[in-house]
Amino acid sequence: MGHLPTARTLLSSRRRREKIADTASFLILLIMAAGAMLPIWWIFRSSLMSNAELYSYPPKFFPSKWLFSNYVETLQAYDFGRYLINTMTIIVPSVFGGTVTATLCGYAFARLRFRGKKLLFTLCVGSMLLPGMVTLIPLYLMWTRIFHLNNSYLPLILPYFCGGAFNIFLIRQFISSIPRELDEAATIDGAGPMRVLVSILLPAIRAAIIVVALFLFIQMWNDLLQQTIYIDDPEKFTIAIGISMLKSGLKSDYAKIMAATCMAFVPGVIIYLCGQKYFVEGIVMTGMKN
Amino acid sequence: MYATIKKRRLSQRGRQEQRTAYLCLIPAFVGLIFLTYLPLVAVFGISFFNWKGLSTPTFCGIENYIRLFTTDPYFKESIKVTVVFSILSVFGGMIYSLVVAMLLNRKIPARGFFRALFYLPYVLPAAAVYIGWSWLYETNFGLFNYILKSIGIDNVLFLNDTKYVIPSLALISVWLSGNLIVIFLAGLQNVPRVYHEAAEIDGANGFQRFLHVTLPSMTPIIFYNLLMSLITNMQVVTPALSLTNGGPGKSSMFITYLMYRYAFKSNQIGYACAISFIFFILIAIFTGIVFSTSKTWIYYEGGEE
Repeated sequence: MGHLPTARTLLSSRRRREKIADTASFLILLIMAAGAMLPIWWIFRSSLMSNAELYSYPPKFFPSKWLFSNYVETLQAYDFGRYLINTMTIIVPSVFGGTVTATLCGYAFARLRFRGKKLLFTLCVGSMLLPGMVTLIPLYLMWTRIFHLNNSYLPLILPYFCGGAFNIFLIRQFISSIPRELDEAATIDGAGPMRVLVSILLPAIRAAIIVVALFLFIQMWNDLLQQTIYIDDPEKFTIAIGISMLKSGLKSDYAKIMAATCMAFVPGVIIYLCGQKYFVEGIVMTGMKN
Repeated sequence: MYATIKKRRLSQRGRQEQRTAYLCLIPAFVGLIFLTYLPLVAVFGISFFNWKGLSTPTFCGIENYIRLFTTDPYFKESIKVTVVFSILSVFGGMIYSLVVAMLLNRKIPARGFFRALFYLPYVLPAAAVYIGWSWLYETNFGLFNYILKSIGIDNVLFLNDTKYVIPSLALISVWLSGNLIVIFLAGLQNVPRVYHEAAEIDGANGFQRFLHVTLPSMTPIIFYNLLMSLITNMQVVTPALSLTNGGPGKSSMFITYLMYRYAFKSNQIGYACAISFIFFILIAIFTGIVFSTSKTWIYYEGGEE
């Protein structure tokens, strides 16, 4: 009897193996997470050191004295408050406009019947494959030579009002996953298409809308090139332009450069943490392609 | 009689629906036409002109393209740099994020916390990330050289060495691929458990199950991530713009950065458009390769499409 494995011993040995694998995964993950966080810690710890301590060997993992005064001094060269306000002046309307457009367009593609739907949808999704960089120069010429928008945020903001193919696609997927019976019931009660969207679908796709807003935010947050070519006036600099200017200005005053870097990290982290719960739920939908 | 009234009412509703749909689509399609498709045509058109800054453009045929492929000192290098960087970042990023996603997919404590942690780099502004990392790559006092030295390897110049600058930047790009992790994880959670159980009953071990169950059912998502990651990484410009200025020498002269320099530093608009167009073709070739091979390795459940 001891030689033949019964169903129970098979099951328990399998459970044990699973458990060992889970523990091993956890440990590997822990090491990888520590590795992934090390750069951020290193940047943060450098922002609190004196330059004398930064340029000493061997480097220390913890500052001997936490010099938060670095941040105060950095603010004299790196006008974070102004940059943050400028950046938000671009981001807030862009994210708002982009989210509204993407929702409307995604709704039309998911639910409404109209002529040319297939072609228009292909044109829209196909543009996801067109690299944005390619059209940089004609767009620059259009905004600055035809519309004379020099040193203006509008060339950065207005394109976002067009939604973006990826976001439209995401909203469409999300709406398609909601049972049609819900809005058909409302339609029978006499609600028009817009009414259905606002009162039935919007509450149901909240997660998707937050994901789209976050994606739009990150896209703009990550941009440096477009901000560089459209904005020359130091009064109008954004966080991204400010930090790259600071690097060329301060050269080797790395304590301050790292303090500015840390400041630039903060807003994105806060916004991400606020929307994190919906984020993962929303991304599950993006994986549903094909 | 009743039937015709009903029909008319329906079609009226249909018309209202169609009108609403077109209204909803207007902003997106104004953008697609004026900010995507027409500018693409414009790039192609302008590339046949000699247009220096404010002067009037003059038609010059394919002169810009001839100059690109014959006398330009940077162009060929920029293609090589962009392609090498993309391959390193795409494959590095895909492997890293698939491994992390698979580990996260097991029964582990604080899963949400870990997921947030690996995603975090993606929400930091790219310009600040590259500047922050430049200090880690510093020759004498940086973190990486400290680690290398403690295992007995001599100082590496990283960003100041023509050999290492691209791999160093690609490593940052891999670190930034949190988005891929979350999409992979979503895909892994959609792999039906019954498949794993069936394979296990047939005596498949962990690695065999990965190879024959997980990987095939993940192929559509691998395809999606591969495509998007390729398009993103080929368009890379921030590291050159914020940090290396294309150097040392021309070893980090990404195509996009070269285009930026010609268009905005030396005002050679027609010439920069020729670069843009070649860049467009280059990306089209790479996405074309991914698409054309996809049929051989993507597994669709139920054999659809």
